[in-house]
Amino acid sequence: MDRFLLGSPEITRRDFLKIASASLAMLGLSQALTPRVAKALEDSLGKTAVVWLEGQDCAGCTESFINNLEPPAASILLDTISLRYHETVMAASGHKSEEALAKAIEEGGYVLVIEGSIPLAEDGLFCTVGGKPFKDIVREAARRAAVIIPVGACATFGGIPRSGPTDAVGFLFRGTRKHHHYDDVAAGKPVINLPTCPLHNERLVAVLVHYITFGTVPPLDRFYRPLAFYGYNQHENCERRGHFDAGRFLTDWSDPKQQGWCLYLKGCRGPVAFQDCWKRLWNNRTNYCIQANTPCAACCEPEFYESFSPLYERQVDVELPGIGRVDIDKVMATVGGAVAAGIGADMLISRAEKRSNGNKNAARAKPEKKES
Amino acid sequence: MAQRIVIDPITRIEGHLKIEVEVENGRVKDAWSSGTMARGFEVLLQDRDPRDAPYTLGRVCAVCEGVHTIAAAQCLDHAFGIEVPEAGRLMRNLFCSGLYMHDHFIHFYVLSALDYLDILAVAQYKGNDPQLLAVRDKIVALVEKGDTAPFTPRYEPDEFSVNDPETVTTLVSHYIKSVEMKAKSSKMLNIICGIQPNPATIMAGGCTATPTREQLIEFRALWEEQVKFVNEVYIPDVVAVGTGPLLPLATAGLGGAHGNYLCYPMFPQGNPQGPADYALGGSDHLVKGGAIIGGALNPAQAVDFNSITEAVAHSWYNYPPGVDSLHPSVGITDFNPRKDGAYSFIKSPRYDGQPMEVGPLARGLVNQYPELMDLIGKGGKPGAVARHFSRAVEARIVGEAGLAWIDRLIELATAGPIVGMREKPVPGRAQGMGAWDAPRGALAHWVDIEGSRIKNYQLVVPTTWNASPRDEKGVRGPYEESLLDAPVPDPDNPINIVRIVRSFDPCLACAVHLIDPETNDIKVYKVS
Repeated sequence: MDRFLLGSPEITRRDFLKIASASLAMLGLSQALTPRVAKALEDSLGKTAVVWLEGQDCAGCTESFINNLEPPAASILLDTISLRYHETVMAASGHKSEEALAKAIEEGGYVLVIEGSIPLAEDGLFCTVGGKPFKDIVREAARRAAVIIPVGACATFGGIPRSGPTDAVGFLFRGTRKHHHYDDVAAGKPVINLPTCPLHNERLVAVLVHYITFGTVPPLDRFYRPLAFYGYNQHENCERRGHFDAGRFLTDWSDPKQQGWCLYLKGCRGPVAFQDCWKRLWNNRTNYCIQANTPCAACCEPEFYESFSPLYERQVDVELPGIGRVDIDKVMATVGGAVAAGIGADMLISRAEKRSNGNKNAARAKPEKKES
Repeated sequence: MAQRIVIDPITRIEGHLKIEVEVENGRVKDAWSSGTMARGFEVLLQDRDPRDAPYTLGRVCAVCEGVHTIAAAQCLDHAFGIEVPEAGRLMRNLFCSGLYMHDHFIHFYVLSALDYLDILAVAQYKGNDPQLLAVRDKIVALVEKGDTAPFTPRYEPDEFSVNDPETVTTLVSHYIKSVEMKAKSSKMLNIICGIQPNPATIMAGGCTATPTREQLIEFRALWEEQVKFVNEVYIPDVVAVGTGPLLPLATAGLGGAHGNYLCYPMFPQGNPQGPADYALGGSDHLVKGGAIIGGALNPAQAVDFNSITEAVAHSWYNYPPGVDSLHPSVGITDFNPRKDGAYSFIKSPRYDGQPMEVGPLARGLVNQYPELMDLIGKGGKPGAVARHFSRAVEARIVGEAGLAWIDRLIELATAGPIVGMREKPVPGRAQGMGAWDAPRGALAHWVDIEGSRIKNYQLVVPTTWNASPRDEKGVRGPYEESLLDAPVPDPDNPINIVRIVRSFDPCLACAVHLIDPETNDIKVYKVS
């Protein structure tokens, strides 16, 4: 059997350096911090407890998380964190797994990751684990957590289940609005929202490593999303932007001449999507929706999915400052793309500033608790 | 005296499952399964643009991710009358066969192996293979730090557990390797999917991706690595364990169900021969559909989709007076949580009136997968071990077939840009069906479109078949039947129950429509 076929689970000082370096790069922080981060990770063996709860989920965020190649997910699981509770991964079932959760909660001070939405209707009976409503499990676990990281569109803002009959919400938000259901247990605690459907693995790994090293959270926007990942506009940075400006819109996927053209008329929500997919790409820097010729659904935004349906119909009117809502066809026919692009850039800069809400101080910034 | 045992949650599956059994004299006497989470996807789709369905339903479950996307896309192809172009069909096939490879080996190593291995035997490894020594040292270091999560706590190993240090250490190293191989698979599939999991490119009309020749050559190299892992690691491990330490479990037929099996055709290798084929994605399927009734070795009959019905006798739904069962195309979801005699929000799908096991064992028996038939020749009975066997063989079959599909796609990409889509407008009024066999079994969607919106959408998914409750004749569903007579010598350590249930690879997220609001009040027994 050749070496390829064998696991290479041994983690060395060099591996910690690699993890540290990769995580700093993901967060856009200086590589000079690498030795410090590596040391913190090395010291953390068996120390940073993680409790990962799954509610109304599809396990997509878990799947995404274990797709991490750099650093390998197995080393994160075995060397960087102590995964005390995770239904899809843990050995225990039934009363054994419930005991593991109770013990972790009793010890407290863990990183709480929440995947899946939380149904509030019918006293929470649309999701129960071990006979308990998930909404109550979240409360118990949040109370004793050191930091809370809701991952994916569902746990952050309600996601697709928010459109269903179960009053499915995120940990702090129901869409763009706070629901205050967990204010008592969330008060004074850092909450870091990592939306998209599913979670982007690198964003979680970077936030975890940052927290383990510095004990703080990175700067966040008003939806508690790290600006390092959610401070950029898709449309403004899109590789198809030139086609938008020139008025070349894809209207028929079967026409090879239109390949690469702007997907706006196919429902692309790039103009309202704030993320860094366009430069981070997905699955170990391979591809992302628009590069794969399919529109951005803005799954990073609190309005997803309810406000963005129907997905493949043009629905977002571009709002231009001083002009207001603009019919894109008329803009293309009369004003010309260059003008729209210039105004668009102004609009997007001001929007990004608004989102950051002045929360620009580096690593020590605490998330604000203002009602959105 | 009979003792009730409730295991909730059953972990290392997709979704939330509760299993309750009655144990008498160390054996399971009766069993009930319930899903404990619901989101209401069928309801939230009503009155929407039908084209949303593949994207939205693809997010029902991300483990056998994307099979709902494909079933929904075929359902719309059928309703809209679209013949998907060859490149679209090939990309859909490749996406699904890549998924099959990693889904099957992850199920074996990450989701199931801990039921069969005494992982702490690693500490006794005495060999000198440097890689295995590294595994040993890692586990020993965790033990010394007093932190062996997520491997502990656990059910205690029993007489069937594998505890040979060399075998266990090798399998643990492959557990770790399998996680890396899955990450590589996601990188590979992302070339045609946009994001992984939860593909974004597959929709009504085909697949929007336009991979270049160079990307497809990279795709092929990544593919070969997956096939190599399946052939040289996964299959040998399953065969070694299944015909070695686990052979007694196999010959005892632990986890066998009714002897009824159903699978739908998957991986079309030819273009549709007519509009009826749109629902099946094409013609000449690599893995054939079929129904076997009354015994694993009985001949398979062709699938008749008109023979599928859903009963609600023991489910919390109402049907109109005098109606026992309905075809899913006219299915009704009328919720009645106070219904007498009901105990599940999973309906009871039946084929020709029979409960059917779906999944890899069904496909393996209908298609006579070679290693599976060898195991049966050696006295192995269809049950938990046979399900693992069938998965492993299937990973090889679809992985090797994929190479030809990639080569054809490379030919197409060499001739000009890949075009995988053919579009048609949303019809005002239409019905459609889409069927595929997901890693976990037979999956079909039905749509009824009116006024260009979804009027009704029904899914009959693998875990609904397998986890179904008793029907109007009192006949148990496959999980329930498979648990009967399972040895549970120690009610505190019901390890055989989880072995059996996990061998089906449960996927609850899609199976459950709604939930028992009584869950809190009734049947709350715990192992103590």
